[in-house]
Amino acid sequence: MIDDNTTSRRNFIKGVATGLIGGTLAGMGFYSYTASAYSRLPKVVREQQDFGAVRSVKVTAISETSWFSNALIMEDIKKSGGLLVDQYTIGWGPFGNGKGAGKSSYEEGIANIKKMIPGDLGEAWALQEKISLHPDNPGGFSSLIEVEDLDGSKHKYLLDSGWSYKWMEQSFKREGIDQMLKSGEIEALVLSHEHYDHFWGLPVTMKYSNKLPMYIHNGFYKEGRQYIVDSGYKGTPIVVDKELTLIRPGMMLMKFDVPIICRVFGEISFAFNVKDKGLVIVSGCNHQGILQMTSTASRRLKYDKDQFHGLYGGLHISPFEDWDPKYDDLVISLGKWGFEKIGCNHCTGHLTARKFIKSGYPVVRGTARFGSSTPDYLGNGDTITFG
Amino acid sequence: MEVQNGSITYLESRKLVKRWWGPWPAIANLVMIFAIFAVTWWIFQDPRGYMRMYTPYVGYMICRWMLILLIWVAYLFDFWPFKRSWLNKVHPVIKGVVLTAFSVLAMMLLIKGFFMGLLGQYGIAYFSPDRLHALGLTAFYAEEYSTEAIMMFAAIASWVAPSWVVACENAPWKKLEQPARGVTIAVVTFFMSTIIFFLTMHSHMAILFDPWQQYAAITPPYWEGFANTVSGNFHIAWIMSCTVTVWVYELIWERYPFNLIKTDWLRRTSSFFGIIAVALCMCFFIYYAQDLVWGETVRGTRREMAPDWRWLHVGETAIFWLVGVLALNFYGGNWPTKFSRPVNVFLRTVISLVIGGAVYVLYYRYAHLFLGTQKGFSHPQQFPMIPMIWLINIFLINQWFMDGWPGWKAVPKTEAELNEVESAVVAHDVSWTPSLAKGLAVGTAVGGAVYFGVINILPWITQNMQIIK
Repeated sequence: MIDDNTTSRRNFIKGVATGLIGGTLAGMGFYSYTASAYSRLPKVVREQQDFGAVRSVKVTAISETSWFSNALIMEDIKKSGGLLVDQYTIGWGPFGNGKGAGKSSYEEGIANIKKMIPGDLGEAWALQEKISLHPDNPGGFSSLIEVEDLDGSKHKYLLDSGWSYKWMEQSFKREGIDQMLKSGEIEALVLSHEHYDHFWGLPVTMKYSNKLPMYIHNGFYKEGRQYIVDSGYKGTPIVVDKELTLIRPGMMLMKFDVPIICRVFGEISFAFNVKDKGLVIVSGCNHQGILQMTSTASRRLKYDKDQFHGLYGGLHISPFEDWDPKYDDLVISLGKWGFEKIGCNHCTGHLTARKFIKSGYPVVRGTARFGSSTPDYLGNGDTITFG
Repeated sequence: MEVQNGSITYLESRKLVKRWWGPWPAIANLVMIFAIFAVTWWIFQDPRGYMRMYTPYVGYMICRWMLILLIWVAYLFDFWPFKRSWLNKVHPVIKGVVLTAFSVLAMMLLIKGFFMGLLGQYGIAYFSPDRLHALGLTAFYAEEYSTEAIMMFAAIASWVAPSWVVACENAPWKKLEQPARGVTIAVVTFFMSTIIFFLTMHSHMAILFDPWQQYAAITPPYWEGFANTVSGNFHIAWIMSCTVTVWVYELIWERYPFNLIKTDWLRRTSSFFGIIAVALCMCFFIYYAQDLVWGETVRGTRREMAPDWRWLHVGETAIFWLVGVLALNFYGGNWPTKFSRPVNVFLRTVISLVIGGAVYVLYYRYAHLFLGTQKGFSHPQQFPMIPMIWLINIFLINQWFMDGWPGWKAVPKTEAELNEVESAVVAHDVSWTPSLAKGLAVGTAVGGAVYFGVINILPWITQNMQIIK
């Protein structure tokens, strides 16, 4: 073909336009997922904050049984419209209104019981037993954390306040939490996140101590913040809005901004540096993911021996005994992080615990008492000590 | 020229012309589309709404299969059993309602009848919620697992079915009358989708259960080492990229550059595999771009740092581009059209990427305020593909079933224009010359430089731009 000046220029431009797309695509395809491309990624810089150390951490599972039947809780969620539905509208106690699944609201629910909490929790829950969905199914999650400082002094913290007023009253009395709250032995309440099974039992704590310091994630919705007031809290919640918040030397709160099922946002978890042992992670549900927490901790915190020593809590993997291949990625990968002691329960899922044990991980077994259903877990009333 | 029913499709036979001057047609259509989106989202999907199908997988499956049915009705079956005369004379709104209702009915028949009823009851348990429930799963997860499997099948079909029409030009059944052509291509592409499903998704489904169903599927799957996950999301990434590339190739690239190939079998084969090649380039780039933005993945963790989520997000990101592509083609007149084909293609690619990028940013910044979802990139039960495909479905209904009403109307093409359709299969406006070769070399070098510029600038953008506040 003859290429005069005009057509030559036009053809050149046509070639450039085609080549631009082709060249870009070639780079995208032949370079992007190669070892060479990944060698360009910046190395992770560990800006480790020295946050002190503690001698030991002891955790007691006051209650890890958040609900007693997966089938019932999932039936309620299914009828309400699935995993993204706002928890306050599902119709569970204490926010049931008698209208059925998915038709409740915070305002209607609290109006029924506001005058009864926190003073008469028995009456409040008895009313909810008549108008909420499956009122015998809720239990709750709550743990007592006892920290021993390097000088031997001991400090107690409450992680979460469970769900059912009835169940949590029983659980608190069983472990003597009611007396500890009354006497002021417990120095603070940390609400890991806004979920029903960790937070809705708040009036039970308020019944015994309504002024103790309370930490909440800054992602709490307006209903949650109002519930703190309506539960009878007389203090001002400490709203955690930084990635790291030091509670005491060796004890750090870590904040994660993650959207969670049933319209909840964010979770806070504990990191401890146990002297001569290493880092211990304690969580309510660990919605952020165990390894997200470990990788953040390894980047941001300085801890003894550069060792991940222990892990305790709900690890939120298969809470409803559901499964996904990505959970197997965790089961396969967890070993390389080198945890020396794992205490799991609650939303970890029995299936996950069994897979951990089968994989040879150092899972501390429980006693399956007080409503806990498997010794694979650290169950209600069981304890684990790190350090 | 006498136009045969089997050679010129309804979509090819019509020409959409604007009813009003300037941008008003596009504005009117987009207002109507977003109004329909808002109403139907509330009725069917919104977790605060009426039917609440965003459980998430039920709604996910529905919107994906709806997409396939729209493609089947318009592209594979050429609107059969509806007559061409009916399509030409009936009001677009009535046509839109009737054809959409027909598609929904066909979709329900396919999901309930074929997948859940036949395949799930008599073949593979994980396609049936009832079977899974009877095996001990909660009713909720029984439904979620089965709808996830059916949804994954749709992901594959949404690539293969239109690819056969666009890339393979309906060969070798192009001359068949409807419904023989539609049935044949539907069966063939369904068969191909089935094979690809077993090669890509079956292992994912098999490891949903404990113990892994290793006598029925390959576990751990063959892609584990390459993709750094056992999740089938790795395949979602490239398959969704293929789906998007098919429409990029068809609409804004106008089948360029493979339509330069004159030999039928070579053009069709090159197109089919070329689409896959382009999709793989896109797939690997988007994955790498995420690593540049968020840091390298940590296997076993969750959300945006997990490999499985990053692969999923490749597909999600690609879908945002598809929204840009469709918006430009349907409501932007496929602008520009005045330059040479390669220049038009290049400029449209850039413009659609800008639109897609803008939709991406707007979605993550504001969508949670309207959709009943939560802010954040990686809620484990939120899939931006659901609202995006829902929107795309409405685009397609408006364009294919309603002839672009209210801003546009369909008028029959002239004989000359129909002849052009027939001859446009092979493009003649770009030929091999020394100047073209020089331009190609320069363009390729610059393209490579653009790529390296982008990967160098991405980390900087991340540090200086916050999408979610």
